[in-house]
Amino acid sequence: MSISTPGEVGSRVSKDRPSLLNNEERAQLAARKRNGKFFLFLTVVPVILAVLLILTLFGSVLLQAVSWQVVEPRNSGQTFSLREARTWEGVVRLELLAQGRTTQDIEALLSDSEELRKFKARNRVELMFRANGEPLRWVVTNIRDDVEEVYSLIERWDRERDSLTELAEGQNYYLNPWMDFSFLLRNNSGRPTVAGLSSALVGTLWVIGLVILLSLPVGVGTAIYLEEYAPDNRFTRLLEVNLRNLAGVPSIVYGILGLYVFVRTAGFGPSVIAAACTLSLLILPVVVIAAREAIRAVPGSLREASYGLGATKWQTVSRVVLPNAATGIVTGVILAVARAIGETAPLLMVGGAGFVNKVPDSPLSNYSVIPTQIYSWINAPQKAFDNVASAGIVSLLGVLILLYVLANILRRRYEKKW
Amino acid sequence: MVVIQALPKDHETVRTATVEMEEAVVSIENFSLWYDLFQALHNVSIAFARNQVTALIGASGCGKSTLLRSVNRMNDLVPSVRVEGTVMYEHVNLYDPAIDPVEVRRRIGMVFQKPNPFPKSIYENVAFGPRLNGYRGDLDALVERSLRGAALWDEVKDILHQSGLALSGGQQQRLCIARAMATEPDVILMDEPTSALDPIATNRIEELINKIKEDYTVIIVTHNMQQAGRVSDRTAFMHLGVLVEEGPTDQIFTNPIHLMTERYITGHFG
Repeated sequence: MSISTPGEVGSRVSKDRPSLLNNEERAQLAARKRNGKFFLFLTVVPVILAVLLILTLFGSVLLQAVSWQVVEPRNSGQTFSLREARTWEGVVRLELLAQGRTTQDIEALLSDSEELRKFKARNRVELMFRANGEPLRWVVTNIRDDVEEVYSLIERWDRERDSLTELAEGQNYYLNPWMDFSFLLRNNSGRPTVAGLSSALVGTLWVIGLVILLSLPVGVGTAIYLEEYAPDNRFTRLLEVNLRNLAGVPSIVYGILGLYVFVRTAGFGPSVIAAACTLSLLILPVVVIAAREAIRAVPGSLREASYGLGATKWQTVSRVVLPNAATGIVTGVILAVARAIGETAPLLMVGGAGFVNKVPDSPLSNYSVIPTQIYSWINAPQKAFDNVASAGIVSLLGVLILLYVLANILRRRYEKKW
Repeated sequence: MVVIQALPKDHETVRTATVEMEEAVVSIENFSLWYDLFQALHNVSIAFARNQVTALIGASGCGKSTLLRSVNRMNDLVPSVRVEGTVMYEHVNLYDPAIDPVEVRRRIGMVFQKPNPFPKSIYENVAFGPRLNGYRGDLDALVERSLRGAALWDEVKDILHQSGLALSGGQQQRLCIARAMATEPDVILMDEPTSALDPIATNRIEELINKIKEDYTVIIVTHNMQQAGRVSDRTAFMHLGVLVEEGPTDQIFTNPIHLMTERYITGHFG
């Protein structure tokens, strides 16, 4: 350390710092470091932008999934506190009582499954965040209720009192959480206030399940063949090039293929199995590529060890290569399936209808999946369907998150087995 | 500076105290091997005596590993390999078209340069070989016997169901030796088994080799000449695919006949 004396006041401190470099070298070093900082800045800015955009996206979707409503009720028009009724059945009893039905009548309805089903199809029983100025109250929304006005959450954030005084006689004012628990269990409807996601959700689960069942064995089988057995000749190379190209083919093309091959030629019609076959074709190249990478990543020394102990080729593949590639294969399949879940275009081609209010119960059922359902809601004339679509988007993201969590659990489990 | 003499490809191997036919477990006769157009082994003939350790020495790329891998047909895994000549094992030519390489490897086990245990438990590693063939006997006893044979039992008997990868490098290599023993082979091939280990672990492997030769015939490739001197009964020196000289280890190290062998032994090249 050099010590500055009073006579040196004004000279730059950095010049007095001990250094291994002369002035020119020091300037060069500073320039090199500035360069690094500049590129660091260049790389950080897009990351920050991306995070902001994602937050905006999530924010707007979540905001849209909640809205204020002015409703002209067609049933009793009463709301019930949590203290009055704790269960769905309790609320139904109170509502029917308020409508002037007799106790006998109510018990008969509750014990008759057909009547109950009809009641459920026509009424949505849900906790509203605020109902006529009070927090968390049970509201029974009837299919015939008229929604007079819809305001976004922000629009009427601090004007609840004003809004309440503006209400006409008999009207109710709710803060409606479109994405509520029963949203996933309710069937679709032409009325936004009672429309639910159940048929599309179950449709999506059917399709994902079948896609995994179809694409996993075929994809992994193809990868094993190409990686371990295929001779290195012109045909194999052609196959490999095409495989990579197929991964980039626009999904609508697969939709047309699915329409001709599965819907018409194979005679599946607009059914779950046709959709699953089409989506399996769509993700197969990705599954095969991911599985091949995973298989190739298994160290050659493990294969040698296996062969050296007298294992046959298939024993080596099934006992050493596949278990060690499983983590990579599972990750690849889950990523590919996540892509398939969000696909809309090919499913519109193969008959993923927007309005199906029957839950699919076999591979040959008509179906709707969440993305096509969202698409049809956004296209619907009533403005309130925008809110339903937002709730649908939240659900779709939820399904994706669940899938990623599942992927992580599977990965950890396989890794624990060494 | 010593100029390395070119060795004629039809060099006649210098042999001292040759292995008698009755003693030989494996005998390689007029064996040549090509990778595509490159000839890696030139007309090699050598016999390996029962319950003895034979060391293959020579500079990198001289073909000693290739020769070793020819004994249990591991070279078959490399596409474009072509061989000529015979490898006799118990009066059977291992390269007879009727012989499946898989059966060869059950009789002739192998230990590799880098310890390569499977990412499974210690028990499963040892049981892997027997299970391939649907072993019907007492697997637990076989695993214990193999681990005792590889001098590893006392260290791992309480952690048999933990990962083989959690062991130290030297323990992993002994695990690999136990794994090879579990298929109950006659011959164990070792391809530089201690080159990735520290001196203490190396020492234990060498002790182990001295012990197991009572039950097995061992062929070991090594870069370490002191090691060859310590563990082997016979030594073979190779150079550029040619077997230059072979004989009892004492003889090779104290009184080599061929000039090339002498230069290699004394560290003038290699």
